[in-house]
Amino acid sequence: MRILDLRFFEIYRSPEYLGLLLEGALISAGLTLLAGILGFTLAAGLASLRYYKVPVLSHIATGYVEFIRNTPLIVQLFFIAFGLPALIGYQWPFWAHALLALSINFSAYFSEIIRSGLQSVGKGQIEAASALGLPPFVILLRVLLPQAVAMMVPAIGAQFIFLFLTTGVISEIGVRDLTQAGLYIDSRTFRSFEVFLTLTAIYILISLAFKALLYGLERKFFAWQTAR
Amino acid sequence: MADGPMKDLFVSLFGAPEGVVLFQLIHATQFTIYLSLVAFLGGGLIGAGVAFCRIVPSKAARRFAIAYIWLFQSTPLLMLLFILGLGLPRLAGIDVNPWVAAIAALTIYASAYFADVWRGALESVPDGQWEGSYALGLGFLSTLRRVILPQAFRVSLAPTVGLMVQIIKGTSLAYIIGFHDLMAIGKRWANAPVDGTEPFIIFPLMALIYFALCFPLSLWSRRLERRLGTAKTDAGLAAA
Repeated sequence: MRILDLRFFEIYRSPEYLGLLLEGALISAGLTLLAGILGFTLAAGLASLRYYKVPVLSHIATGYVEFIRNTPLIVQLFFIAFGLPALIGYQWPFWAHALLALSINFSAYFSEIIRSGLQSVGKGQIEAASALGLPPFVILLRVLLPQAVAMMVPAIGAQFIFLFLTTGVISEIGVRDLTQAGLYIDSRTFRSFEVFLTLTAIYILISLAFKALLYGLERKFFAWQTAR
Repeated sequence: MADGPMKDLFVSLFGAPEGVVLFQLIHATQFTIYLSLVAFLGGGLIGAGVAFCRIVPSKAARRFAIAYIWLFQSTPLLMLLFILGLGLPRLAGIDVNPWVAAIAALTIYASAYFADVWRGALESVPDGQWEGSYALGLGFLSTLRRVILPQAFRVSLAPTVGLMVQIIKGTSLAYIIGFHDLMAIGKRWANAPVDGTEPFIIFPLMALIYFALCFPLSLWSRRLERRLGTAKTDAGLAAA
């Protein structure tokens, strides 16, 4: 049996590879963050359609959410990157396709969390508030949202980090993300084990950084709700 | 195996290229299902062991379980596939069958989530149940088996079924290390310059097949949740 020789130094001694990894990490984290913001915005719309039971549109929103949640991200990504451009004849840069696919994917998962957050606030409270004569938007802002948001913030954070860990697939459509950087270094050094172990460590570090960021935001903006 | 009366039926139903493509996609779906089932069973076994370690009195075992769950829930599935399918074989200088690598990666991935779900189910049983059983003179194992497990089982059912959806979606990444499943065959057709297999036809078709596998499980999981009254706020954590 050969002695296993690990050569991490082939990665960390090369400024070129370090630069690629850094660039990839920034692209992965940045695209995920953008997709998170876009996805959350879309999700808020979807969840409101379903919460207020808007005729027809709420059913479309339900179908959309179910379809996205029950199909793999990579199929959605390939359809957006290869199917749609051939169908309607647009060609965006790779990262824009990835951003669109990730936003759509994230929005379905976030929408479920937002909806269950909204539904967790008892109907009795809404009825009581309107019996007191509060106008609907005041009920929304002062009664419904504060409680719903407190319910959903931790779940959104956990889901976001989970989704971040699935974004490596965007390398499959040519986005120069962290996984793509790893694949390139792997093709040059053939040190697959070391390369992908390094990549795993970077993914974990970024997700820890996201976790710290989310926790900080939660402490700053929602301390009055979450400290219970 | 790829030919036969079934294929002829598909061709006569849907015409020359479309029938063949549809047949091959459905034919390849069986490997997606096998891989999911093996990962479900293997992940379930290991996950049960880790969940058990998580609640035993031994501090070392609990630490191991916490570390295991944390590490493999934090590792992207794609990285597990690359490490087991490319990294380890190259490091050890051996050839590893894509089946073995894909099964190993998905099993480890699934086991961390199973362990976490079942730990949550076990911990959902109030401490008083443990204390009461100990006070009655039952040991750790008999308390677990006769008192805790029957109650935890109910709680664990819905998220366990939900995890199956996550595993099926996860198998769609196995093609990257050379596993031949629905994803691999579909992608090959989408790249082929054949009329009727354009990417905007193939990928929605594949999405429909995945949806047909996953959606019934999602519905089942939700029904269990409602029927057993075990709805959890963090049960929505499933993607791939």
